[in-house]
Amino acid sequence: MSTPADGLDDLGGQEPPPDDLLAAEYVLGVLDAAPRLAAQARIVSDPAFARLVSDWEHRFALLALELRPAEVPSRVWTRVQERLGWSPAAPAADSGASRSLYFWRLAAGLAATAALALLAVVLVPRWSAPKQSEAQLARAVTTLQRDDGTPGWLATVDVRRGTVLMVPVPSTPDAKGRAAELWLIPPGQAPRSLGAVSITRAYTVEVPATLRPDLTGNAVLAITLEPAAGIPHAAPTGPIIAKGPIHL
Amino acid sequence: MEPDINEPPRERTALDKLLKDIALGSRQAFEKLYRDSSPQLFAICLRIVSQRAEAEDVLQEVFATVWRKAAQYDVERAGAMSWLAMIARNKAIDRIRSQPQARKSEPLDMAEDIADPSASPQLDAQASAERQRLEECLKRLDTRRRSLIRAAFFDGSTYEELAARIGSPLGTVKSWIRRGLMQLRECLEQ
Repeated sequence: MSTPADGLDDLGGQEPPPDDLLAAEYVLGVLDAAPRLAAQARIVSDPAFARLVSDWEHRFALLALELRPAEVPSRVWTRVQERLGWSPAAPAADSGASRSLYFWRLAAGLAATAALALLAVVLVPRWSAPKQSEAQLARAVTTLQRDDGTPGWLATVDVRRGTVLMVPVPSTPDAKGRAAELWLIPPGQAPRSLGAVSITRAYTVEVPATLRPDLTGNAVLAITLEPAAGIPHAAPTGPIIAKGPIHL
Repeated sequence: MEPDINEPPRERTALDKLLKDIALGSRQAFEKLYRDSSPQLFAICLRIVSQRAEAEDVLQEVFATVWRKAAQYDVERAGAMSWLAMIARNKAIDRIRSQPQARKSEPLDMAEDIADPSASPQLDAQASAERQRLEECLKRLDTRRRSLIRAAFFDGSTYEELAARIGSPLGTVKSWIRRGLMQLRECLEQ
């Protein structure tokens, strides 16, 4: 499967590049914020692409070990423990905060389980119900997973109405005061903002008419942290905190 | 010692064992892994996120992720140090992409070649061989492609930043890097 060398002549202009090259660019780190986010969304939704990325990571990883190790200040270890809710030698106030963080993680996990169970209870019987109005139709649940694998939001997409019901698993507000912004990422395209979402309240998002055709099972929903001012933004700048491929 | 019928292709390193224990919830193993690997991972973060306080924050995020994701580490797929290094790079690059003002602009010396084969922590025999092959394949690229790929990798610079840093058109820089990447893949697959 090698490309003949003369086929590479227009590589500088080819957009978007072939998948393997895109995976390489992602791993190398040359992509701007928006294409990087799109690539991350694709890793979630497209196992073949995820495999290409992992192959490139494997090829490149050892290069990173060339750097001379740097001395790490001891405060970093303390903060890692705080972040994990272990609160080692932290002052009482901090340990309270950490415990509360731990509580919220635990609560979030329980709430997620409860929410899933509730959805199962609410939705499953309706599959067999003979009569139902359009509004009562059972809908598939899209889970937007956080980095650690726990659910951050549960979404149900109504293609006909062009709405997305976003149910958060309650979480602590961002320390830097950033807001959660929802993005629709159609395959191979830049993320499009669907506006802000709450981290504590369920909320129905109206998808703009121009974006409704992209509300398909091939697209990904992602949440990033963004400055509250200016939402909806033209492009994401913050890190993805939760994402998942749409289930219809 | 139980006999292993499947003959794992990769021998388990000390870090592999630590990650396995961490996946089971051992804080002690986590602390040991932190002591053993944080200086290397901090170097990666610091190079990409030049601001020290930010780099420290990214390093915390890296280890929080390691704690949560240790169960996903697949020893057959990658060495432990590679896996850790990739988490560090990803977190660091995510961080600078979220801060457009943190763009790197210092000019890039195209002759720069900073390979330091002496720094080679905790690699098993297979990883050492893989690393050597990567170095050899990089050496086969012409200087321009190699310098750009290395700068992109270590600094986390985007195509646009690299183009500005060497004063060449964006399309040209993309083409150099993409050709370099394909050439690299061919060489590594031989």
